[in-house]
Amino acid sequence: MDRNDHAAIQAVLAGDKDAYGALVVRHSQTLFRVAFRITGNEADAEDAVQEAFLRGYRKLEGFESRANFGTWIYRIAVHCALDKVRRRHIAETLRVSDSNDPEQDQVQVADEAAGPDRLLLSGEIRAMQMAALQSLTATERTAFVLRHMEDRSTAEIGAALGIDPNAAKQAVFRAVQKMRRRLAPLRVAT
Amino acid sequence: MTHLTEEEMIEQVYGEREKTVAVERHLAACPLCAAAFAELQRDLAEVDRIQAPLRDDLYGARVWAAIADSLPVYKPRPRSLWAAFWSNPWLKGLSYAAITALLVATAFYAGRLSEQQKMQPPVVHINPKPTQPKQPIVVVVLDDHLDRSERFLVQLKHADLDSADQALPMRDEARSLLTANRICRQKADKTSDPELTTALDHLDRLLANAANAPGGLNAQSIAKLQDEMNADGVLFEVRVVRSRIAHHNATGTNPEKGGIL
Repeated sequence: MDRNDHAAIQAVLAGDKDAYGALVVRHSQTLFRVAFRITGNEADAEDAVQEAFLRGYRKLEGFESRANFGTWIYRIAVHCALDKVRRRHIAETLRVSDSNDPEQDQVQVADEAAGPDRLLLSGEIRAMQMAALQSLTATERTAFVLRHMEDRSTAEIGAALGIDPNAAKQAVFRAVQKMRRRLAPLRVAT
Repeated sequence: MTHLTEEEMIEQVYGEREKTVAVERHLAACPLCAAAFAELQRDLAEVDRIQAPLRDDLYGARVWAAIADSLPVYKPRPRSLWAAFWSNPWLKGLSYAAITALLVATAFYAGRLSEQQKMQPPVVHINPKPTQPKQPIVVVVLDDHLDRSERFLVQLKHADLDSADQALPMRDEARSLLTANRICRQKADKTSDPELTTALDHLDRLLANAANAPGGLNAQSIAKLQDEMNADGVLFEVRVVRSRIAHHNATGTNPEKGGIL
């Protein structure tokens, strides 16, 4: 564990609340990055980061001093981002269309039918990819983000999500398959 | 030929599959799977374009400012006096020093005790003031030394050659007497008393042989000492000198030859 992190934690537990500020400053960028990739939304990501640090502070007494604070708070941030996505899914299901497409039974996101001309624009491509990402379930999306973008191993993903590594691997498989199906028009267009 | 499943290809992309070599071999041999694999890699490479927007350097400070007010202050955990004591480097160092000093003192004291029990050297009190008469003190010590020497010689004369129990105490007594004898011998030089110096010389040689007998005292060395004692007449000499001292002590007279007697 980082000695600075360890010293800061000891100081916090000894009554120096401001020492936690150093930990927040040190790990905020990393947490925001993963939170954004999971939520796909800056505001949600920022909320998730704040929530993660709040939860981390409250659980600090139970933190194992041998563990790595960065890894520990990272997992908390993943959970917070996952919660954000799940809550948003619940809200969005209220405006789910009556589509019978089983692939879209989880969530309906704004996905304007884009013609090949528009898809050439990188902004549109990015929007479509983001839409594809948001079409995944919260667990699939998180597993995919951690595997594909954060380079986390299946074991780490399982630990972060609180599921078996095999279940984490299956979640990654499903996410990739869904993503590919969603991005198939993009492939044809390019 | 069995083609690769999509799952196998995904595992291959992320490098978590154990049979990597076998999959690679299949991909090299199967154009259909190779094309599918290339397509999968292309699709996933497209997803790489999704990047999180960057946050400036003050982002962490803003997060902290947003949450700081809602965080309670941890109360310091009550520590035991023992923990507090050991957490103080000064007290810790002091306690180590005290423990070390105590151990050294104990070891020194134990060593002194052990040495005293082993040797029990005679206490020779030499009066530091030359103006005061020193004779009585020396006479008493010499008398005591001769008394002990006589008893040792008698014990040696009648020693049981087959008894090993006597050997060690006799050797220890010989060593103790040897030290005292040499002190008395030095003092005797100043007296010009040939009987005394001769007796002490003979005694010195005998005690030295008894104290330093190779392999300790045994039947053979004791027999040799007995022969030596008889040849020199040490026991007789000691008795004569001792009786003379006893006589002087009883009459309170001082021998003409002066010195310690």
